[in-house]
Amino acid sequence: MIENIELEKCTGCGICDVVCPADVIHMEPQPVATEIKGLRQTRLLPVIKFREHCITCFSCEIFCPEHIVDVHPSVKNRPRPW
Amino acid sequence: MDQLDGNLIDTDVLVVGGGSGGLMAALSAKRHGPPGTRVTLVDSWLIGRTGHTAFSNAWTIVALPGDDIDGILHEIVAGNDGIADQELVRQSLIDSHARLKDFEAMGMHFGRDEAGRYKRRPTRGLDLARVLYPEGGGLEFAWKQRLALEAEGVQLIDRLFITGLMRGASGDRIIGAVGINSRTGEFNVIKARSTIVATNAITFRSGFVRDITGTGTLLAYRAGATLRNAEFSYVRPGTPKFYFEGITFAIQEGASWVNAKGESFMQSYEPEWGDEADVPRIARAMAMENRKGNTPLYLDMSAIPEQLREYFIQSKVRWMDNFFRKLGDEAKTDMFGKTPYYALNQMTKMGIRTGADCRSDVPGLLSAGLAQAGCANHFAGFHIGLCVGNGWIAGRSAVEDLDTAPQPSLDAAEVRALHAETHQPLNEQGKAESDRILRDLQAVMFAYDIGILKREDRLQNALERVSTLSDEFKTIAAPHTHELVRMKETEAMLLAARFILGASLYRTESRLSHFREDHDQRDDNNWLVWVDLAEGGNGPAFSKTPIPTPYCSVVLPRRKPSRLAARQSVAGV
Ligand SMILES: Cc1cc2nc3c(=O)[nH]c(=O)nc-3n(C[C@H](O)[C@H](O)[C@H](O)COP(=O)(O)OP(=O)(O)OC[C@H]3O[C@@H](n4cnc5c(N)ncnc54)[C@H](O)[C@@H]3O)c2cc1C
Ligand code: SF4
Ligand code: SF4
Repeated sequence: MIENIELEKCTGCGICDVVCPADVIHMEPQPVATEIKGLRQTRLLPVIKFREHCITCFSCEIFCPEHIVDVHPSVKNRPRPW
Repeated sequence: MDQLDGNLIDTDVLVVGGGSGGLMAALSAKRHGPPGTRVTLVDSWLIGRTGHTAFSNAWTIVALPGDDIDGILHEIVAGNDGIADQELVRQSLIDSHARLKDFEAMGMHFGRDEAGRYKRRPTRGLDLARVLYPEGGGLEFAWKQRLALEAEGVQLIDRLFITGLMRGASGDRIIGAVGINSRTGEFNVIKARSTIVATNAITFRSGFVRDITGTGTLLAYRAGATLRNAEFSYVRPGTPKFYFEGITFAIQEGASWVNAKGESFMQSYEPEWGDEADVPRIARAMAMENRKGNTPLYLDMSAIPEQLREYFIQSKVRWMDNFFRKLGDEAKTDMFGKTPYYALNQMTKMGIRTGADCRSDVPGLLSAGLAQAGCANHFAGFHIGLCVGNGWIAGRSAVEDLDTAPQPSLDAAEVRALHAETHQPLNEQGKAESDRILRDLQAVMFAYDIGILKREDRLQNALERVSTLSDEFKTIAAPHTHELVRMKETEAMLLAARFILGASLYRTESRLSHFREDHDQRDDNNWLVWVDLAEGGNGPAFSKTPIPTPYCSVVLPRRKPSRLAARQSVAGV
């Protein structure tokens, strides 16, 4: 399941959102720090919106050009047969 | 239609679903059509990076010149206990070499040895068939095809989730589909003269990429198509913690299924094939062992030399590589012997009934990939082998139909009704509850004594529980598009569950993955037939269709694999 995206190093390219086959990651306007006090600025950054629907396919991690997405291999909430 | 916001797309051949079936259908339509033929391929996510195809190893059964095609056909038919379209399987095998050349022309590389010969591996449950494996696995396999389609001028539309098929003003044929952008919810209407549904079979989200489910077979059902093979399923050994793709490999190298007492149990259930039996037969043995109280069950890899285990870890496709690397030592201890395995339902084998030409009973509607009901059992390598084969045939048939297909004419009332139906569950106050209903559905369908060891009273009981869940489902709503898509998928699963249970009650014998405790023998006199289901006014109506046997006139017993003895000596069995 997707664990973390190191947003400080993120360029906002959106690849992780585009390749995710489970609609987990959405690019959304996020506030960014600005030098001038009171000036509000936003930038599109990836948000892990539906983590519970991650299928642990690693695509976001594989295709992120900055190598800043971390997916953990264990599959949570796997159904059992009995 | 001026009040409806959205896009109107006009095309000749519409392909729904961008996995191996849909990609090949689109290529074939473009290649067979006269210049200027408009081919449109849509997928709910990114074509070439989603679907089972993209995450598979993309091992593919290919018959090279000199291979015994009729022998392979025979063993596939036998391994299906007869439930296979012989014509379609045979044609797919005959065409497979030409498709291999197409793939190579797209820049794919298939493993070769020093002498330049293709590296080929046997596959579980078959003796003569050999698989080839493309470098980079499914991610490369699907992406290279996407690039090739772009180069050939196929229109690709990503993130378009199809929610209904249209019958148009004349009402006598399918004239395209409607759907929503799977992120924004924007409505789309696609007019087409031929529509190929290639959305894969329905899964119950039982882990890893089988969380991706197809809904097209049920859209086809609603549009009047007949479905078949609902009583058969793909139940596969899995672990609670992670997903290990490579069991076939491991067993070939000497791994063995053992129970809690350390006994290697497959031999007693499948004396001919032992651990090399294919998936449904392993699943049944696991369920029986569970009943005897012999669980937990393990995949014992101790017979596999250390360096070969490393090879497992390294020789995988990209996601597997990340997976193993991150698991680290856990991969070596847990995975190779210490993790309990169980059998989990992965998907139904229910698909759209078509002829060997991939045309359904509804004019204008065709099917490819696993959405088409060509086989009830596919073996590692023949899932994709058949998808490629039927995709090629479906694309050609769709183009042939263009000569006679009238220009589609939309029916405004129908489009409005489909629009309303698509959006009906949307309600900002809704709570996203489809997962809860799905979990209850899984509990019903995954129980060993429902999904694997079937009996009339238990199947009836399960039908009632599914019906209660379906009623409950009608009361829930979707607060956003993400949940709307999940809800449509869950709705398809609920309907599929009903069909699976109904068909399982209907077939009163045991065959393949369908094992009835109260009818535990295979009965070729009465049941060498397909079980078909179509809307009967008040739910599905089931019927039998005899299976033509043009090439294998009798279904001979499966032969013992010639390599089994060698494997057993490696494994020390
Ligand atoms: C991990 C794994 C490994 C495997 N390894 C192998 C192997 O080595 N060899 C082999 O032969 N088989 C293998 N298989 C099985 C094989 O991958 C599949 O059976 C095969 O790829 C199915 O192809 P398809 O075209 O029918 O479906 P898919 O590849 O699943 O494509 C269907 C597409 O339809 C789309 N879709 C569904 N519903 C809609 C809708 N309503 N609107 C729009 N789009 C929709 C989906 O997004 C999906 O992209 C493997 C499967 C898995 C999961
Ligand atoms: S691992 Fe796959 S499903 Fe999960 S967030 Fe990444 S791309 Fe999406
Ligand atoms: S792919 Fe990587 S760099 Fe691009 S938006 Fe996602 S996390 Fe940021």
